[in-house]
Amino acid sequence: MAGEVNRRDFLSTLGVSVGAALTASAGSVIPSVGVAHAQDKPKGNIPDTPYKIGHMTFFTGPAAVLGEPMYKGQLLAAEEINAAGGLLGKRKIEILKADEAAGTDANVKELRRLKLSEKIDFFCGITSSGNTPALGPVAEELKCLTIFVDGCTDFLWDKAVPNPHYIFRITNMQSADGVTCAVAVAQTWPKIRKVAHIHPDYSYGRNAFDHFGIVMKKLLPHTEVVSEGWPKLGTTDFSSHITKAISSKPDLVVSSVWGGDYVAMYKQALRYGMFQKAKFASMIAFGVAPHAIGKDHPEGVIAGVHSNYHFTYPDGDRWPYNKSFVEKYHKRFNEYPNFQAEGGYTATYILKTAIEKANHLTGGWPEDDAVIAMLEGQMIAGPAGYVYIRPDNHQGYKDAVTGFSKNVADYPFPILDPARIITIPIRNITAPPGWPKGEPTSTYTWIDKTWPVAKV
Amino acid sequence: MDVLVIHLVNALLYASVLFLIAGGLSLIYGVMRIVNMAHGNLYAFGAYVTAWAIGSVAGGAPTVLLLVLLPVGALAAAVLGAVLEPTLLRPFYRRAEEYQLLVTFGLLMILEDLLRFIWGPYPLSASEVFENFGSLTIGDSLYPTYNFLVIGVGIVAAIFLWGVIYKTRFGVVLRATSQNMRMASALGVNVNRVYIQAFTLGCFMAGLGGAIIVPGQSAVLGMGIDAVVLAFIVVVVGGLGSLEGALVGALIVGVVREAGITWFPEIELAVLYLIAAIVLLVRPAGLFGRP
Repeated sequence: MAGEVNRRDFLSTLGVSVGAALTASAGSVIPSVGVAHAQDKPKGNIPDTPYKIGHMTFFTGPAAVLGEPMYKGQLLAAEEINAAGGLLGKRKIEILKADEAAGTDANVKELRRLKLSEKIDFFCGITSSGNTPALGPVAEELKCLTIFVDGCTDFLWDKAVPNPHYIFRITNMQSADGVTCAVAVAQTWPKIRKVAHIHPDYSYGRNAFDHFGIVMKKLLPHTEVVSEGWPKLGTTDFSSHITKAISSKPDLVVSSVWGGDYVAMYKQALRYGMFQKAKFASMIAFGVAPHAIGKDHPEGVIAGVHSNYHFTYPDGDRWPYNKSFVEKYHKRFNEYPNFQAEGGYTATYILKTAIEKANHLTGGWPEDDAVIAMLEGQMIAGPAGYVYIRPDNHQGYKDAVTGFSKNVADYPFPILDPARIITIPIRNITAPPGWPKGEPTSTYTWIDKTWPVAKV
Repeated sequence: MDVLVIHLVNALLYASVLFLIAGGLSLIYGVMRIVNMAHGNLYAFGAYVTAWAIGSVAGGAPTVLLLVLLPVGALAAAVLGAVLEPTLLRPFYRRAEEYQLLVTFGLLMILEDLLRFIWGPYPLSASEVFENFGSLTIGDSLYPTYNFLVIGVGIVAAIFLWGVIYKTRFGVVLRATSQNMRMASALGVNVNRVYIQAFTLGCFMAGLGGAIIVPGQSAVLGMGIDAVVLAFIVVVVGGLGSLEGALVGALIVGVVREAGITWFPEIELAVLYLIAAIVLLVRPAGLFGRP
């Protein structure tokens, strides 16, 4: 696919669509989240001992803004499953909490303790990309069935655990964020020339910067980076970074700053007039705490959601799994779910689905290996849409979503403009199975080598 | 040109808040010889209380009322300090310094959890004040007007502290206790009272730092730990126990950070530690410290 092509033609081959409707309705053969009323009777004898899940995520520190919803998502699913009798109608789920904020070394010890002393059946959670590459190999060594909710670094499958058996991960991979944001920019504002970046200085920010850059090189090759800012994660003072970005007179400012940091950043940027002077695109602005964003947030900027999920999409009755999830979550916790809540919820149900399918084949309580075989290639209809677990790398894939900020009457905070949601089939923006492991990521080298350069 | 002015004001903004935090830390050390690791979370506590106070007043309240609520966080931090000193710290004065470090570090953790317990994991913002002030124009650029208030408070606090320490009887007692606690005590100074006053004043300053910065930034978990690390850089540069040192240290850190972000974005984080390392090598007691 070398050579030059027309940008618009290439974007349409990527399947990028705006204001997209869902392609297919949920078929009866595809398992979905939520407890069905009429369940198949499990085969064989099922023990009634509790099914222990070790859930490790951030319960303290700034990342608790991600961790708590992740836990709540799993808790909600567990409560629903338990109310219907438990897994296979017998085994009640019991969640043991562990705080990821203890640090990577302590987390590794805690995982060992949970598996060896507490005898957990299943390990779940994890927010930080610094922790999955450390915990992944240990979970493999302990033969501990695991679904990481996040910790979405490409590095986990590229390098740390290239051939996983016991571990899976449900969120989109990190590289999807930079790529999604860049594709949205290329489609929306093809005339931009100068780009300023502000990213948190750790793996997520670096990854977002790299992947945004490689897509720009292909789709908008005439753009140049005029400013870089690398604030520390957890910073709430962006005065200097904003001043620097504005003084480089960019057409576009791109940022992957998230959580409380982002709330502080956009409020400061407003007073510095940044949004009047440049267009703005984010990988994750509305992803972390959708309700923490104020009505003063500028409208019409690309407000990413970690390529994963915003609770307002798919909206209304078109996708009942989302509607009922949001309603139940809001009723239970009095807040709206973010992508971590969706991840924790869907991870629990995809596990339940795999256990039920394995039981149908083997009878009784299935061995982990049978559950793993069912998880590989499993597809489930979750609140965010279909999630598919790729058998080769145990990674969950769902179509990427992003959109434009808009204030609506229904919510006291801005949401993604329902009329202009951008969706991209995930297979078109991630390296396919068998693609050689690359540097910095496989997806990066795949884009570099296979995407054509669009004509100016 | 205007960009340079803005960079300078940014540096002053950062230095003002840093001075309030590091000044309090230094004051407490100067008088009591306690390295208060928990200091950063008194700053965070001030930020949270002010954000909560302003947030609980219904939207649309007049700016004057919101400004009156601003110091609430500083007062709350002062009250917290006045409670903590006699109950938690006093029993450890006669012990080795490691115990004090452990206790105040433990306190740092406990306060962090307390903040999360009371206000939850989500950022708390008090941006109404920041928004109501709007922006003013510097050349072709906009600049948040509120930031000048923060800088003003920083300057007033520095002058006020200088006045208290060098021009009042309380300041004389404070300095006497700082130079020789036993001698001051022998001369009839109620050391316990001086300690609680100094600690409360130090906490008030930290709380004030949090209270004035929260409208522009928002209160988040972990802000206290970041703040105490930065405050330590300031006192390492300026000299632990010296208020002049805290002031000069804060200005140096403010300017160097601004320059680092602008010209060396790749080493933004490292540049502050580099200054601290250089000062430690050249003047181990800091620029204004007593060796």
